[in-house]
Amino acid sequence: MNRKSIAKTLGGLAVLTLLAGNASAQNRINVPNLMAERCSICHADELGRLPRIQAQRKTPEGWLMTVVRMQRSHELRLTDDERRALVKHLADTQGLAPAETAPARYVLERRLNTVESFPSQQFTEMCARCHSGARVVLQRRTATEWERLVHFHLGQFPTLEYQALGRDRDWFNIALKEIAPALAKDFAYGDDAWQKWKLVKPAPVEGQWVVSGHLPGKGDFNATLTATLKDAQDANAKDQYTLTLAGSYADGEKLSGQGSAVIYTGYEWRGKVTINGVAYRQVFAIEGDTLRGRQFVAEHDEIGADIVAARQGSGTSHVLAVQPAWLKTGAKTRLTIVGNDLAGEPELPAGIKVLKVLERTPGRIVVNAIADRQALGTHKVKVGGVEGGDLAVFDKLARVEVVPPYAVARVGGDGGSRPKVEARFEALGWATGPQGEYRVGVVPAKWSVAPFNEDARRDRDLEFAGSIDGKSGVFTTNNAGLNPKRHLSTNNAGNLTVVASVANGGKALNAQGQLIVTVQRWNDPPIP
Amino acid sequence: MKSPTLVLSALLAALLPATPALADLADLSRDINVPLVEGREYMVVPNHPNQLNVLDLAENKVLKTCSLPDAFGPGSVQISPDHRIAYILNNRFFGLYGIELDTCKVTFSAQMSQNEEERAISVLSIAVSPDGKELYTIQNPTRLHPDHYEVLQSRLAVYDTRSGLDAKPVRTFPVPRQLSLMQAANDGSLYVLGQDVLKINPATGEHEVALPLLNWKRPGYGVPDVLSAWAAQRPSREFAALYTAPKFKDDKQDMESADFVWGVLSIDLKTGETEVVDFAPLTEIYFTGTRSPKDRNHIFTVLNGLRKYDIKEQKLLASANVDHAYYQVSTSLDGSRVYLSGTLQDVAVYEADTLKKITSITLPGGDMALCTAQVFVR
Repeated sequence: MNRKSIAKTLGGLAVLTLLAGNASAQNRINVPNLMAERCSICHADELGRLPRIQAQRKTPEGWLMTVVRMQRSHELRLTDDERRALVKHLADTQGLAPAETAPARYVLERRLNTVESFPSQQFTEMCARCHSGARVVLQRRTATEWERLVHFHLGQFPTLEYQALGRDRDWFNIALKEIAPALAKDFAYGDDAWQKWKLVKPAPVEGQWVVSGHLPGKGDFNATLTATLKDAQDANAKDQYTLTLAGSYADGEKLSGQGSAVIYTGYEWRGKVTINGVAYRQVFAIEGDTLRGRQFVAEHDEIGADIVAARQGSGTSHVLAVQPAWLKTGAKTRLTIVGNDLAGEPELPAGIKVLKVLERTPGRIVVNAIADRQALGTHKVKVGGVEGGDLAVFDKLARVEVVPPYAVARVGGDGGSRPKVEARFEALGWATGPQGEYRVGVVPAKWSVAPFNEDARRDRDLEFAGSIDGKSGVFTTNNAGLNPKRHLSTNNAGNLTVVASVANGGKALNAQGQLIVTVQRWNDPPIP
Repeated sequence: MKSPTLVLSALLAALLPATPALADLADLSRDINVPLVEGREYMVVPNHPNQLNVLDLAENKVLKTCSLPDAFGPGSVQISPDHRIAYILNNRFFGLYGIELDTCKVTFSAQMSQNEEERAISVLSIAVSPDGKELYTIQNPTRLHPDHYEVLQSRLAVYDTRSGLDAKPVRTFPVPRQLSLMQAANDGSLYVLGQDVLKINPATGEHEVALPLLNWKRPGYGVPDVLSAWAAQRPSREFAALYTAPKFKDDKQDMESADFVWGVLSIDLKTGETEVVDFAPLTEIYFTGTRSPKDRNHIFTVLNGLRKYDIKEQKLLASANVDHAYYQVSTSLDGSRVYLSGTLQDVAVYEADTLKKITSITLPGGDMALCTAQVFVR
C-alpha cells in the first residue's frame, strides 16, 4: 500500500527543525537500550545485532529521514526526545567524516538552485533523475545494503521502472548489477576518512564566534555568535548550546537573535536562531576554530546567507572578510575588516590609503579608505601580520554576471499548504587588470524581467508569473492554483529572463539570468 | 511487519462514514438502478472521489454515478464483451473490481497481493477475455521481509470473472518486468505493452515478442518511446498506442540532427497483424491518439490541443484549442464525434469533421486524473 499521502502530513522543513530542536531530555535517554527495545523488533538478527542499521553511515539529516520513515511507515513509536537522541547517537557513531560530506554540503545547506553535474551519465539517469545526487553521495553502505536499497526503491515506488529513463532500460537489473556494486565501491561503508575522523578530538564550540555573512537581497553583515553550554553541570550535554547573536547589516540595521544548536558527529553544527523575529536555521561545518555554512529562513530556505566564522580566543587569528569586498578608485569608502583576535594595525595594500580608523575591536576594524589606480586588482588585507579576506580595487567594470545564472521560484500560498518560493538575484562585477580579469564582487544593479522565449511571450508569463523588486533583485511569485485567465487555465508558471543593469561610468552594463517559475514542491524532504 | 494494506483499509474504514463525498453519492442513489438501453451509446469514466460515471452520449449527459469500493486510482477501465460490466483497476493500483453497469453493484473484486508477506500492484494492466470469462492483470510483487524488501518477478494473474468478491487467481505465470497496458485478442492471446509488445498465451504463460519496440530494427530510426496509460477498446478491435522516435538523417545516426516523429503502433486483435506508422513531426506532446472509425487514415491526438492528422500524408488536417489539458481522446462509434477526457471533471465533445466544440459534460465530483474512458454501444 502506498503510504505516501500519510508521509506527507509533515512537511520536510518541519522535520528539519527537529535536528536543532530543544534536546534537553535527550541525554537522559539511553540510546543503546532504546535501540535494543524498539529497533530490534524488526532489525535484530539471531545474535541480537542490528545488521541493517550497523551497515550504513549517514548525515544527521540522513538518519533523521530514516528514523522518521520508520515512524511514519513502519509504526515505530518514539517520543520527540527519543527521536532526537536516536538521530544524535546514530550520526555520532555512524556518521560521515568532514571529507565525506564536503562534496555535497550544498544539499544540506538547502542551496536548491544548485545544478548538479556528475561524471557518470548512468548515475545521473539512474539515481539523480528523481532525487538529488547529493542524497546518494551523502551515504555510506556495505554492498549488501546498497543492494537492499535497490530493492527498497522498486518495492516502495513500483512505477519508477515505467517512468521516462526507467522504461527505456532494464531498470531493476541495471540498478542491482551495475549501480549497486559501483556505489559499494565509491561510497563504501568502511572508508578511511571515517576511521581517521573517529580519532580526531572535536574542536571546542563554546565561546564567541565572529561571523561574517552575506544575505542576497539585503547585503553583508557581521555579528558575534555566542555559544554557551546548555547545562555545564551535565557532562553528557556537551554538544548542546544556547546561542545569542548580535551584529549589524551593512545598511545599519541591527541583528539580534537567540536560539540553540546541537553539534553532531563532532563538527556538524545545526542551529536554530530567531533573528529580529524571524526563525532561521544554521547548517555549519566546524573546521577547527573556524566554521562555514549557510544560515537560512526556516520557512523559506531560499532566503539564506553564506556564513564564515572564527572563534575568539582560539589562539589563531583569522581575517575572515572585508565588507564591502571592493573599492572603487577615488571613492571614499567605509570598510569593515571582520576576523577573530584581530590585533595590531590594519595593513592595506599599496595604493589604498586609510583615512581614518573608526572602530577597532578584536572582532572588527572599521576604517574609511580610498584607493588609487596603483591598487587596481585583488588583494588580501593584513591585520597584525595575519592575512585574509578578499578586497578588489577597480575603476571600471568590464562585465557583470547574474548569480545565480539559473534559479527556480515556485508559486504558493492562496490557501495552499506550500508557501511561495522566491528567487534572489545578485549582480557580480568583474574588472580587467594587467593580470587579466578579476572578480570585484556583488555590485548594485537595477533589476527587471522579460519573457525568456517566444512561448513565454505567447503565454504572457511576464504578466502572470510574478514580479521582481527593481532595487533588491528579489523575485516574488504569484498565487498557486489554476488561473482561468491563462491559456489552458494553467498555473502562474513562467520562463523569464532576469536582467541586471549596472551603472558603469556613463553607460550601463547589462547581464542576464534565467528564472523558471514553477509549481509547488510537494515532496520536500530534509535531503531533496 | 503488519501489512500496510490492512492498516490503510482499517484507516479508510474508520474515516469513510464521515466523508462528505459519500453523502453526495447517496443523493445519486436514486439513479443508480437505471438500466442501460440496448443499442444506445455510452461512455464510462471514473473520477474523484472514487466513482464511476456512465454518460449517455445521445444526450451528452451523466446517466448515473456508481460509488466504487476501497481507494481511488488509477481507474483503468475495460468493458466486458457484453457491455454489461466495467472492470476497473483501482484501489491505488492494488485492486480489480467488476461493476455491473445496470445496477452499480460490485460483482467482482480481487486484490493483487496474495498473502500478508507480499505487496503487489498492477501498473495500468487489465484486460478481459473475448468470451468475458477471464480477467487478466500483470502483477508486480514485493516480498515484505521483517526488515527489508525483496522485489519478486512480475506475474500474469488470471481470474475467473465468476469468482465474485475477494477472488483469487486461477492461474499465474512469470512474465518479464515493466509490462503495462494490455488487451485480449479474438484468439484469446494477450497483447501486452512493455519494452516490446508481447503476445502471451494466458492458458500456458508462453510469450513471444509480437512487435519489437525497444528492440525494434527499423532502418533509419533510433529507439522509440511509448508512454500510454489508456487502453481504449475500439469497435475496430484495434489495440493502439502512440510512440515518439528519432528519425536519422543518414547512416551516422546522429541524435543531434535527427528529426523526432510521432507515430502510432497498432495490433489488430482480430488477426494479430501489427502496424507501425509515423504520422507527424514531434512539435508538441500528445498523451493519446485514436484513429477515426470513419477513415482509418485519420488520427485524432490530444494534450494541450486537439489535432487531426492525415496519417499517409503526414499532414495536419484540423486543430482546435481546448479549455485545459485533456489526456484521452475517444470517438463515437460512428466517428462523428470526438470526446476528450482525463484531468478535470468535464468531458468535452467535438464535431469530428470540423473539430468544432459541441458541449461539455460536467461530472459530479472531481478530477478524472489518469482514468480511462471507454465508449461503447450496449
